[in-house]
Order: sequence, then structure tokens, then C-alpha cells
Amino acid sequence: MDSFFVRYRNLLVLLIVLVAQIVGLAVQVRRTGGGRNSLDSRDGSGVRLVRLWADELVTPPEQLFHNSKLGIANLWQNYLNLRHVREQNQDLEKTIDRLRLEQAQLLEDARQGQRLQALLSFQEKYVYKTVVAQAIGSSGNDQSRLFYIDKGSADGLDRDMAVISADGIVGKVREVFPHTAQVLAINDQTSGAGVILETTRIRGILRGNAAGQPQIVGILADQRIQPGEKVITAGGDQIFPRGLAVGVVEKVVRDPDRDSFIDVIVKPAAQLDRLDEVLVITSTLPRFSDEQQQDMAISEDEKGAEAKAIEEQKKASEIMAERLPGLTDPNAKTATPATGAAPGTATAEPGQPPATPAAPKLLHPQHPDRFMPGAADGAAPAEEKPKPRQQAPAPAVKGKQPASKTESTPAAPKTGSKPATPKAGSKSTDPVHPRRNP
Amino acid sequence: MAVLGADYRREIEIHRFPLLVYVLVPLAALVLQAWLPWVLRGYTWFDLPLVITVYFSLTRRNPIQGTMLGAGLGLFEDALTQHAIGVNGVAKTVAGFLAASVGVRIDVDNHTIRLMLIFLLSLLCSGIFVFIDRILLGLELDWSWVAELMKAVGNTLIATVLFPLLDRVQIKD
Repeated sequence: MDSFFVRYRNLLVLLIVLVAQIVGLAVQVRRTGGGRNSLDSRDGSGVRLVRLWADELVTPPEQLFHNSKLGIANLWQNYLNLRHVREQNQDLEKTIDRLRLEQAQLLEDARQGQRLQALLSFQEKYVYKTVVAQAIGSSGNDQSRLFYIDKGSADGLDRDMAVISADGIVGKVREVFPHTAQVLAINDQTSGAGVILETTRIRGILRGNAAGQPQIVGILADQRIQPGEKVITAGGDQIFPRGLAVGVVEKVVRDPDRDSFIDVIVKPAAQLDRLDEVLVITSTLPRFSDEQQQDMAISEDEKGAEAKAIEEQKKASEIMAERLPGLTDPNAKTATPATGAAPGTATAEPGQPPATPAAPKLLHPQHPDRFMPGAADGAAPAEEKPKPRQQAPAPAVKGKQPASKTESTPAAPKTGSKPATPKAGSKSTDPVHPRRNP
Repeated sequence: MAVLGADYRREIEIHRFPLLVYVLVPLAALVLQAWLPWVLRGYTWFDLPLVITVYFSLTRRNPIQGTMLGAGLGLFEDALTQHAIGVNGVAKTVAGFLAASVGVRIDVDNHTIRLMLIFLLSLLCSGIFVFIDRILLGLELDWSWVAELMKAVGNTLIATVLFPLLDRVQIKD
């Protein structure tokens, strides 16, 4: 038995290591509702710990390289410069070398200043709270469009925060460590962002393809989509605010898996392979300047005062409505003698509110026509009405009483409206103003 | 007969390195693998941890060491991505084991053979990676053979420079 283990110990070790890793892989993958497998977007605690170790090991040297600017490119450039200078005078060598280094440093500073200035101006006009971060490294894998930034949870970063640049969206924060964070770029195959085509208003999901190009997938073939059309964020993914620039349509290709669908290849607005400084949106609540906040406070005060004034006006109108006579159907009054007496009581004490404001009165227009309420009625009731009214209110002629008088006359146009209004409506037989009659 | 046996060849041809090299070189490979693509603006057609795994496996000629080194570096690479941890681990475990096993039977001092081996193992690693991602895990992953071929070529070019450099830091008996 011992000889078996000794003889095949290499293979046994290989099998154990492989099986352990495959079991670990199986734990990380889960089956989704659609029958397909996917990785859990949130790592388990064990997986996250491994990633944290890797991050802690790799990012300090990366930051060191980045901060000290001792990149291989710089070393190579300096080396070439040095060789070139060696061919020249020994005295000039040091001076030229120093000047070139200074110039390169200044140029780099100037470029960085310009970039930061552009970023700052973008940040100022932007209404969300952002944190400026610097890209320091990548995942090192061509199947993974993921990079690291030098800000982490200590700076207020959290998972699923949007990462943008002055040109357009860049990606989202995937994992956060104390002082660094992973950012999943929009051209990664596992990323996803809700986008909309600006002109055609076609919505879709943006993700990367194998070549590292962002593409909008799952769109039905549409002839309207043309290269050059702008693509912006749709805002429905709860990560990117709406309306941010994504890029422009580069070309439209057929979906290899589904015939009726197309993939829209997008040229990203942000230079995803040349990122230095990026903005992380830490809060989607609007951020206003002091002046804007003052304006808003004033506006709120004015709004309150206005509401108060409206309330007072409302109260006053209610009081007035109680005191003033209202509208009513004149037919309803004439129907009963009690109501017929009401005008009499009203005329008895002009200016006083009626004791029983039961029946609001309908104010009669000076020139009634056939469209008046009750105009379609027969002439007979109209002729009946004026009689008591013309008699009863006769003594009271002041104030509102003419109105109460005239309220009895609407019947007149009813009668004369059709056959007699133009002709019989002459001065001799004015039904509205009977006292004007000769 | 023992002189021609694999065990005997392994005994006489094992290359040894200072302990610092065993620690620093894999670490440097991991850091550079994460940092260089960023500096080179997206050029990722190389895999330094794989090159290092193959080199140490070939020179050490110990399958267990090759297995463990490949597994460690692969898992570390996975940890830097958003992918499942273990995909690169399995691929490099197999690569390390095969390199060490083959190294027992071939002349590891022959530079051409080493370059051919790194080229083939790069393609094998890519194949295992795709197999695990698409078949074993059932994930949707687009890939292109051209990119994998370019990566194998890139690894070979790096090995052309790196292997002789690392040969120089071997402990000479």
C-alpha cells in the first residue's frame, strides 16, 4: 500500500489539488432562473478574503510604482536619453540630462494639471457627490477588463457605485477594500449598464465582447440605428445616473446566436485603455451650491406665504359665500309660495343677510336668450311667473332687489324668445325691464 | 541502466536557486502582470505567472512543486479578477505538473525545446481556461483563438529573454 502512494504520489497530489479547486469553483457558481449559470455578483466571505489578500499584496507595489513615477517607460526613456547625451560633451551631459528630466517632469505635471482641471470643471457642473480617484493597475487578464483605483472604503466608496470620467462612463465599483477598489469597466463581458440610443430612443444593455469592445446586446434588428448615433445612460440600472455619455454607435452587426437580433458596437466616449483619473459617484443625491440652497430656501418661504395667502382667501370667500345670496333655480322658488315670499323678506331688509339662506338666487342677465336655463320651457309658465313678482317686489327697488325682480323675468324671453324676441323685444314690451316699458 | 533512468537524470540535472529568487520572482511576476497591462495601455497578450511556473517546473523537475507553484500563482491571478477563483488555478496546476513531468524526460538546457514547451503549454492553459469557464461552469464567455494564439506567442517571446536571465541566477555546484 505504501508503495502505491509513493509511486503515484505526484498524481495523487495533482488530483487532490485539482479536486479542491473544482469544488471551490462549484461553490462560487450558481444556477440562475433562466437555466444558465452565473457567478454571484457578491463574493462570499472566503472568496472576498482571498481577493483582499491578493489586493494587499499587489497594490502597494503598484502604488509605489505609480507615485514615484518609476515606470518602465520612464526608465527606458531616460536610458535612451542618457545614451544620447553620452555622445556629446561631458559638461553638457549633466545639464541636458537635468533639464530634460525637469522638462519631462514639468510636462507631466502640466498634463496632469490639465486633466485635473478638466475633471474639476466637470465635477463642478455635475450635481452629484463624487470622489476623484486614480487608476493604479489592472487585473492582468485579457478576459477581465477590471482595474484598480487608489480609493477605498476609507474614502467613502462602496460597491456598485458608478465610475465616470469627464468624457463618459467608465464602469462600476465591483469590490471595495480599505484603501483600494476594483472597478469593472463597461467593456467587460460580465458588466452591464442600461443605455438608450439618443435619437431612436431604443433601449438596451451594454456589455463588453471578447475583443474588449462595449456593445449593446439584445436589440431587435432596426434599420434606423446608424453609425455615429450617440448612446447615453438610461438610468434604470440603479447605478449610472440618467443621461451620461456612453459613446457613439460604431457599427451594427448581427447577433451570431439569434437571427432577428443585432449587436450594436459602441465606441466608448471615455478612453478606457488610457484612464488616469476617474470620478466615483458616491452619492446620487443632488448637490447644490450655497447660492442654490439660499434660492431654494427663499422659494420654500415664498411658497409657504403663498399657501397661507391662498388659505386666507379661501376662508374669506367662504365667509362671503355665507353672507351673499347664492345661485338657485328660479323655478324652484316659484314652485312654492314660501319661496315666493323669500324675495319679499329679502327686499324688506336690504343689505341684511337673509335669515334663512335656503334658496340661492340666480342672477339674471340683462339680455337673456334661448340658451338660458329653462328657455326651452313652454310660454305658459313664463307668463305665470311675472305676475306675483311684479307685484310683490314693486316697493323695493334699491340694492339687489332689481336683480331679485328680474329673476322673475327669465320666463319672458322663454316666451318671446322664439317668436317675439327680435320683434316683440322692442322697448314697448321689454320683458326684462318692465318698468322701462312706456 | 540507472544512469539513463529518469530519476538519475533528475538527480543530476536539478537546478537550484537562492531562496530569495523563489519568493521574489513569482511575486514580481504577479505584480508586473497586474501593472504592465495598465502601463502598456491594455496590451495583455502575455502571462508572466505561467512563464514563471513553467520555468521553475522545468528546472526543479519536481511535479509536486510544479503543481503547488502553478496552483498558487493561478489562484492569485484569479483573485485579482472578477472571475471565479480557481479557473486559472486549475489551468496552471496542470501546466506546472506537465512541465515538471516532461522536464524529467527532456533536456531542459535546450533553449528551443523550452520555448516550444512554453508555447504549447500556453495554448493548453487557454484551452483549459475556456473548457472550465464554458463547459464545466457553464458560463457565457466569448473568446477568440487568435487572442489565445497571440498570448502564446507573447509568452514565448518573454521566455526567450527571461529564461536565460533566470538561468544566470542558478546556484552553480
